[in-house]
Parts: sequence; C-alpha cells; structure tokens
Amino acid sequence: MTIAISMVRRTPFFGKMFNVDTSTGLEEINAWPALMIMASFIWLAVSLLLGIALPATQILELDSSLFYTAMTAHGAAMAFPFIFQLMVGVGLHRIGGCVGKPVTGILVPGFFWFMNIGGILFTIAILMGLKISYAVMYPLPVVGIQTGQWSMTSLIIGFSGIALILVSVIVLYPVQIIKMLFFDKQREELLLSPRSLKDPGMLGMAMAAFVLLIMGAPLLTVASAVLLYLYNILPFAWIAWAADPTVFQFVFYIFAHNLMEAMAIMIISAVYATLPLYLADGTRKLYSDRIASLALWILLVTSVTSFFHHFFTMYPALPSALAYHGNIMSYGTAIGAALTIFTISATIWKHGIRAEPGLMAVLMGFVLYILDGASAIITSNISWSFQLHGTMWQAGHTMAVLVAVSMMWIGVLIHHYPVITGRVIDKASGNWFVTLYTIGAIGAGTAFLAAGAAGMPRRFASWNQEGWMVYGYLILIFGIILTLSFVVLFINLNKSKEVASAVPSGPSSMPAE
Amino acid sequence: MQEFIYQSGWGAFTVLLLMQIPFILFFLFVVFRQGSKKPSPSPTIDTSITRLKNIWMVAVVTIFVVINVVSIKYFPSVVEAQAEASGLEIHPVNVTAESWSYDISQTEFKVGQTVRFTAKSTDTVHGFGLYHPTGKILFTMMLIPGIGDASLVHTFKDSGTYKIRCLEYCGASHHEMSDELVVTASSN
Ligand SMILES: [Cu+2]
Repeated sequence: MTIAISMVRRTPFFGKMFNVDTSTGLEEINAWPALMIMASFIWLAVSLLLGIALPATQILELDSSLFYTAMTAHGAAMAFPFIFQLMVGVGLHRIGGCVGKPVTGILVPGFFWFMNIGGILFTIAILMGLKISYAVMYPLPVVGIQTGQWSMTSLIIGFSGIALILVSVIVLYPVQIIKMLFFDKQREELLLSPRSLKDPGMLGMAMAAFVLLIMGAPLLTVASAVLLYLYNILPFAWIAWAADPTVFQFVFYIFAHNLMEAMAIMIISAVYATLPLYLADGTRKLYSDRIASLALWILLVTSVTSFFHHFFTMYPALPSALAYHGNIMSYGTAIGAALTIFTISATIWKHGIRAEPGLMAVLMGFVLYILDGASAIITSNISWSFQLHGTMWQAGHTMAVLVAVSMMWIGVLIHHYPVITGRVIDKASGNWFVTLYTIGAIGAGTAFLAAGAAGMPRRFASWNQEGWMVYGYLILIFGIILTLSFVVLFINLNKSKEVASAVPSGPSSMPAE
Repeated sequence: MQEFIYQSGWGAFTVLLLMQIPFILFFLFVVFRQGSKKPSPSPTIDTSITRLKNIWMVAVVTIFVVINVVSIKYFPSVVEAQAEASGLEIHPVNVTAESWSYDISQTEFKVGQTVRFTAKSTDTVHGFGLYHPTGKILFTMMLIPGIGDASLVHTFKDSGTYKIRCLEYCGASHHEMSDELVVTASSN
C-alpha cells in the first residue's frame, strides 16, 4: 500500500494527477486503485500517439512494417493496460467503498505487476518485430517464424507478456472481486456508501467476474499449454491439441467476445450506480431497479454464446445452426440494451439531473456505447457479415466499444476522484473534455464504419486505393480531436484543487459515493 | 431495395443511421432538457412512462425480427440451396490461399455463370474477399487452416475485372495478398 502511494508520488506529471489523500484514513481503498489508474493513463498516452501514427503512416506513405508495428502495439495497449487496468482501478475502489472492504492483499498488487510487466514484455516483443495484431491471429505467430518475419525469441517474450496479462484479467481480478463481495470481513470505517448484490450497481460487477473467470479458463489453458511447449517444458505431442488453429481461434473468441461483454456489464452496472447520485430532485433511486437488473441478466445470458458471430464467414465449416444461434443471441443483447436505454431515459426524465462533468461523461459514454451497439448488431447478422467482416467496420466497432466504455469509466473516475485524491477538477474544463471526446469518438467511429461500408479492409497497410484515403484523413482528424480531449483532461487533473478550497459543487465534492 | 440493403456495405450503413440518428436525437433531448432545467422532478406520472416502455420494447423486438427474417433470403446457405434447386450448372472453382498469394483453379468467367468457390488456407488464417468491378464487396470468406473448406455460391452479373483481397490480417505482406478474376459478356 505504501509502495503504491510512493510510486504514484515519484512519477512525474501523471503522479500529480492521482496523488492519494492520506488525511482520510482511506488509503486501503485508494492506494492501489490510484496507482492502477495512473499507470493506465500512461499506457493511454502512449497508445494515443500510436493510434495517430496509423493514419499518419498511410498518408505519408511510410513503410508498411511501421503500420503493422503501430497497429499491434496500439490495440494491445488500449485494450488491456489502459482500459482494463483503468476499469479495475476505478472498479476496485468503488467496490471497496460500497462493501467496506480493503483493496489490498496479494491479488491486488499481483494484478498490477502482472498487467504492467505483461504489457511491457509484449511491447518489447513488438519492437523486436512480432506483429500479430492484438487479436493474435493464431497460427500467425508461429507461421511468422517459419517465414522469417520475426524471431522465436520475440515470440517467447511476447507470449510470456500475453500470459501475464491473461492471468491478471482471467484470474487475479475476478478472484479479488469474488473475495471482496462474498468473503472478506467488512470494516465499518471503509464503508462509504453501502450497497448489496440486489443493487444493479453491484450485481453487474459480480456477474462480470464470473464471466471472465469461466469464459477465460479455456483460453488460459490453451495459452499455458502452448507457452509450456515454447519454454521446452512439455513436448509438442502433449500440446498438439492446443496448437490446432481451430482450437485456438475458438477459445480466443469465447474469451475475447465475453471480455468485451463483461466490460459492458460492469460499466452498465456502474452507470446504474452513478446516475441516481446526480438526480436533481434528490431521489437517489433509478426509475426501476427491477428493469435495470433484468437488462443485466438478459445481457449476461445472451452474450455468452453470441461469440459465434465472429465465425459466420467460415461457412460451411461453422454449422448453420450455430450461426443462427449466434445471430439471434447477438440481437438478444440488444434487447438488454433497449431496456437499459429505457431505464436511463426514464430515470432522467422523471427526476431531472445535475449536469456535472462526471455524470455527463458517463451519459455521453453511454450514447457512444449505444451507437456502437447498432453497428455491432448489424455485423452480427449473417447476411451483412459476409459484406462487412474483415473491413474497417469491424475495426470501428472494436474501437468504438472500447472508447465508449473508457469514457464511462472516466466519468465514474471523475465522480470518485475527490475521495481518492481529496481534490476536485475544474467544471468548465471538464465539460470541454466531454464535448471534445464525444465529437472525436462519434466522428472517428462513423469514419471507420463508412470506410467499412466502402469495402476498405481493416489491419491493412495500403489505404491509398479505391478512394479509401478520404476515410484515412477523417480518422486522423477525429483521432486528433479525441487526443486533444485527453490533453484537456490531463491538464485538468494536474490542476485539480483541494476539496476544502474549492467551491462546493454538488456530488463531485462529496466524500462518499 | 432489399438487395441494396442486404447485399452492400452502404445498405448496412443506411440501416445503421436509421437506428443511430433517432436514438441520438431522443437521448440528447432527454439529457439536455432535464439537465438544463431547474433541479426539480418532472410531473410525468408513472403510468405514461410504463406505456411508453411497452411501446418501445414492442417496436424494438418487431424491428429486430423483421430485419433478421428478411435477411434469411441472403444467407449463403439459402443462396446455395436455391441455385441447386433451380437446376443451374454450378461451376466448381478451387482456391488455395498461402502467405501471400492465391492459387485459383479458374480465373475467367462469363456473365451469368454460377460458380461455387471452395477455398482453404494451407498456412495461417487468410481471407478471400471478392470485390465487384465498382469496388463493392460481394462477399468475404474466412479461411482458418485445418477447419475444412469454406464454400460459397455466386452468380456473376456484370462483366469486368473483379478484385480479390485478403481480409484477414496475415503478416508483413498482408496488404499485397490479392488476385483478379475476369468476367466477360456471354457469347449467346
Ligand atoms: Cu492473407
């Protein structure tokens, strides 16, 4: 815990944003989360630059290997060390305060070190030449060695990094959540805003933990088997089953798809928890907790097997029955989303809201999430999938869901920021962040989808043909706006004022949730 | 119209906007109207909200059912079954993908010819994306090595040079993995 606090303090620029308030005695729920959030922002800064580099290398007609290097590093850094780590940092702090249990022990620092060392190892491997995209594209990592594209050493380092990240996401984080929700002893002094599992704002956190643990287990098994072979511990005959591309592809998407869904369940749950705190008439309740919980249950049940939509275009190798099932389940998740739209709109309509930057970030993130959901269900229809799979539409969907989820988490972070640091951010600057982010995200997202509609392939270092470059310029422009929004946020967090000296401005200056 | 909606990327994009634009207008209206007012509850009574909920959910489910039922007509399995049932001659074409090129058993076709592309990859995951001469994607197939052949029936409707591109990332020269098919007007 003291290590976490001193690491934050010793980090230039980023450390100042998340310097933990040690006057409240809440370090046990603040210290490690603050360090994770800070680390996630460092990864974000790096991957933003890599993201801008992608259209830039195409516009400037630079070497294609630069594009594939930036592509692999950008996707990997955004998905795991940035968004997942941000979510774990904010999520653990939130749960700690809601159930009155400390965010300490072996698993918490374990998560931090596994995630960040894993991220660094994977980055080193990419710099050594391993360009497999964040989707791994197995068996490409192995074929790349046979065709002389990268070395065995880079693969071993890269897979070691991926394994550390997977352990942190699939095991350490979910087990910590389950431990806090069901086992650890409650401590009165840490209980800021009591919530039970009946509360939709807490239910989703538990659901997501089980989803990650259960849906991730097969991938972890397969990845471990391959890694033990790469380390020369097991002979190939023992792991041949795991090295089958079909096995790997399926366990990968069972996990990767449900990872995204778990992140969605968690953030929708956090939205359900945060919105009522900003209701204008002082009511601290959703329009209906039952409809809110129903939406989470529908999302949970339908999302588990909708991953088949990743495989429609291998027809007929994917049996039609499984394709139909994936198609129908994908639209089932949208029924859950429709109920969520209802609950959030009805809550706002009935009670009015105080439009603080934290809440506005959450709500605009929700807008992005629903806009993306529409693109997701369209490519999850079997017929459309044959025109859109493998195009920029898919890249746009992946990017948009992550951008939406991260904005909602940043909103939740802004809400909890005073408790963690004892400081508040500037409201006007906070609104600028929300505005720029929304414009950048909608613009970039739409540019990606239009590019996909025009037939532009994703993960493809040759944009200058068929008139596709216009989308490249749009992606660059909106990408820069998105980056600017973070510059505004970073400056705001750096200049945040102490709660006592700031003018009280509603919930964002309240110590408890 | 149906053909445009289900058989082109821009058709999908149109449906996307039809879902996105009403949502964004409605939601922003709710947020900014209720966020810019003096903090006080709206007088709306619960029964009217409940009625709106029922209308909204019925509308959503209906739209989803219609979209998906109509789309069945364009499923590759249905297109294939129709071609077989019509008694047309289906011309077999074999495709083998390997980093970073294709081996295609036949590359010249006539307008009106119905072809079954049977494709596989011998090394890593590749794609077989067929582009119409206008640049529109006709279909893409994902070729995972070892899982069995992907196969799709297609009838060429226009003459011209059709481009083939790999749409699954496959390494350093992925963007150079392409080929061409030439379709000429039928003689009769
Ligand atoms: Cu390829």
